[in-house]
Amino acid sequence: MDHSKQTQYSQNEKKDAGASSSVLNGHFDGMAKRPAGGTGRAATAAAAQPPGAESSSHRPAASVMESWREERTRSVEDNEMSLPSLAAAYTTILRGLGEDPQRQGLLKTPWRAATAMQFFTKGYQEKIIDVLNDAIFDEDHDEMVIVKDIDMFSMCEHHLVPIFGRVHIGYLPNKRVLGLSKLARIVEIYSRRLQVQERLTKQIAVAITEALQPTGVGVVIEATHMCMVMRGVQKMNSKTVTSTMLGVFREDPKTRDEFLTLIRS
Amino acid sequence: LYQRARMEYHHVSAKNGVADENQNAEKLSHIEKAYTTILSELGEDVKREGLLRTPLRAAKAMQFLTKGYKETIQDILNDAIFDENHEEMVIVKDIDLFSLCEHHLVPFFGKAHIAYLPNKKVVGLSKLARIVEIYSRRLQVQERLTKQIASAIAEALEPAGVAVVIEAVHMCMVMRGVQKMNASTVTSVMLGSFNDNAETRKEFLALTMQK
Repeated sequence: MDHSKQTQYSQNEKKDAGASSSVLNGHFDGMAKRPAGGTGRAATAAAAQPPGAESSSHRPAASVMESWREERTRSVEDNEMSLPSLAAAYTTILRGLGEDPQRQGLLKTPWRAATAMQFFTKGYQEKIIDVLNDAIFDEDHDEMVIVKDIDMFSMCEHHLVPIFGRVHIGYLPNKRVLGLSKLARIVEIYSRRLQVQERLTKQIAVAITEALQPTGVGVVIEATHMCMVMRGVQKMNSKTVTSTMLGVFREDPKTRDEFLTLIRS
Repeated sequence: LYQRARMEYHHVSAKNGVADENQNAEKLSHIEKAYTTILSELGEDVKREGLLRTPLRAAKAMQFLTKGYKETIQDILNDAIFDENHEEMVIVKDIDLFSLCEHHLVPFFGKAHIAYLPNKKVVGLSKLARIVEIYSRRLQVQERLTKQIASAIAEALEPAGVAVVIEAVHMCMVMRGVQKMNASTVTSVMLGSFNDNAETRKEFLALTMQK
């Protein structure tokens, strides 16, 4: 089973190597490409110092957006191989906080926390193209399609503390519609990462734009940031709202109004 | 006499008082290095702008979220116990509570409702919320948290009865695992008259649990 997975990954990566842009996860210029299941950490560490990293603070807006065919930074084998060092890191954290990692309640916590963290960042091992390929249909529909109240869970990349909220997506199809759950799956791929809410909103909007070429896309996210609620300013009831409007949603105020009214109701 | 709930777990540094400054800085850098390892093992690029200082921020956040280990009940309660000829129920409800699940290191949060029947001694009201803070800012299990709050109040005030109810949402159930968005967990501890007297308990529950 492992062997067949490896060959599948290497084929995919070779196929996409030509098509993918030099942007990875919208974060920096350059590829932190993992070799198919094989040499793992050493190769990744070398590849993760991309040549363009120094210029990351000056990158143009376009390269912040990733192509929807982008590479994964992680594979399923990487998950298994990282688990021991993740667990060791969590044991260090427990000790550093003054806890006793040997007491009954904490004995297996490093492993549980490591697996949980891998789950919270599983968006790194998924690709939009895998999720969408089948579910784009030609439909002669050019009215607004909205999927709202999509529960979203992400991790703040600054404090590694959860963010959760709701995503509302609307788009105006241009002869091509998308399976509805695929919108939620796009949200899942991008939210299960270390994120900044502004970037998350834009990534979702851009992915839908690139996949469907619709007339317009609107994405609104309202979320609660535990880093603001549990610590720091400690404001219980505050919510952060971000939105991205592309295409006709940006140009035509009436369309935008209709979208915003419909997600309110 | 009423049944005293025993504290099941005493944390070492809770008895040690003031923490050594140097030790603190060293521990912080250990935690920071651990977080750097975690970030790279998850497949992220630790040198990108957004993550550059994340290990330090996450380490400090974690220390804040577990600051209850360094605080003791004596420090916060000593001044604020008053002799008052009051024997009716005192309730402080809807105390926002934030804690960390000790099994997954993921937050759980909710509200605590506390009631006690004073026996000539009342406590400053915010001190009840501070007791909640001390015990919740730790790696916790909701059952133990409820019991610790109840027994701390019992030992400090020796009231005729103490009741603590905590209703919380566990992110480890919501964000992962079973992924049930709307499930919440309710735990309660009833000591003294709240345990013995059904009417007292009913009055407390009616006053706190009605939305």
